[in-house]
Amino acid sequence: MSREESVKFPVSEAFSFSLESIKRRFGRALVTMASIILGISFLSFLLTTGRIMAVMRQQSGTAVQAYQIWMAIIAILICAVGIVNSMLMSVTERYKEIGTIKCLGARNRHVLEIFLIEAFFLGLIGGAIGAVSGWGIAALWQYLLPLMMQQGSAQTEALVIAARLWLEFNVNEPLIFLSNPLIGIALSVFIALISSIVPAYIAAKLSPTEALRYEA
Amino acid sequence: MVMRYEYAVETEDLAKYYIMGPVTVKALDGVSVKIRRSEYLSLMGPSGSGKTTFFNMVGGLDRPTRGKVFIDEVDIASLDAYELAWLRAKKIGYVFQTFNLIPVLTAMENVLLPMIFTGVERDERIRRAREMLTRVGLGERLDHKPGELSGGQQQRVAIARALVNDPVIVLADEPTGNLDLHTGLEIINLLKTLNTEKKVTIINATHDLKMIDVSDRIFWLRDGKIERIETRAEVAVREVE
Repeated sequence: MSREESVKFPVSEAFSFSLESIKRRFGRALVTMASIILGISFLSFLLTTGRIMAVMRQQSGTAVQAYQIWMAIIAILICAVGIVNSMLMSVTERYKEIGTIKCLGARNRHVLEIFLIEAFFLGLIGGAIGAVSGWGIAALWQYLLPLMMQQGSAQTEALVIAARLWLEFNVNEPLIFLSNPLIGIALSVFIALISSIVPAYIAAKLSPTEALRYEA
Repeated sequence: MVMRYEYAVETEDLAKYYIMGPVTVKALDGVSVKIRRSEYLSLMGPSGSGKTTFFNMVGGLDRPTRGKVFIDEVDIASLDAYELAWLRAKKIGYVFQTFNLIPVLTAMENVLLPMIFTGVERDERIRRAREMLTRVGLGERLDHKPGELSGGQQQRVAIARALVNDPVIVLADEPTGNLDLHTGLEIINLLKTLNTEKKVTIINATHDLKMIDVSDRIFWLRDGKIERIETRAEVAVREVE
């Protein structure tokens, strides 16, 4: 059989198929992303708080405690279980669709690609939302808390400290400022991909007749 | 120059058994038929007679327990996963009772999909999809999603999708099963017109008796076996008697 006589599904097509699927089923995507957003947001909050504490104490490095890291790891594990669960649901909901594209010529590999690319985007978007919101909450927490707690001249003093911290944190050390959200996003993409391997594999291995017989 | 074999589909002693605990269900039990190129064929029989099983075997969607299926004189059991995917993409078009369009894609994108798999170049793909959708009467609805189309319109999109790669055969499993009488008749006539125009072999699994009026031959299935094969004229004569 010649080279032309084999089915094609360029990665670019898989990308646009996956993106359309996320865009037009955004509710389902949000459910899958919810656990990523929460987990990564918690991690980002911890890291940023630790960083701010370190700056306040004039230390280098971070002031994150070991137990906090463990809490974050557990949060991420729970988030991974959440993704596995909602990806499995998403596969079940789309049995007919999987059967249909297999009839149109899709091979197992193509189905696998579609689901993994979707997971990649969910990890990316969820991670970005989580990292930014965790960072924002930590910053607000650290800057606003003293303002609300203090009165009179103490408040002015707190404002000055907050402004100095802001400068130190964002201008003098932009790389450190950026590194926490980036770690969060990278971790999120990684977790989303790992958690989607089994659901995507199940989808890819479905026989077309089985998939088509399924009544949603 | 494309080779032209006389038969689009041949089956030899085709059988499919399902083992369900202690019972073996003989969904298809030794069917040997020859289906000519550009024939319009209806597979009739009560539910459970093996229509869908036959459809799945001929469509390369499932492996038979025994016997052979030839499409274009190629034994499909001898094909590997790559070749089977190519067969499904290029040689066979599928039409289902439940339409099975991809819900997140527009009518146009649904029709484009099979051509992506066969590697048709982008501009040509769009031209052919538009032409095909216009042909089935949906030229004004290219950008509608399946949810925004009626059942009959969805089935037209599915027919356009099945035919856009110029397949050897179109397999339609109860294509009118989810449609009202009038819309069903429109779909039957559309399939017949396309069969005549494009010389494509159409195999219908159905229990819609309206189908008989357009069929060249009718295979009557019962309990996984061919009970009798009749031409349209023979059915008409039998009904008069």
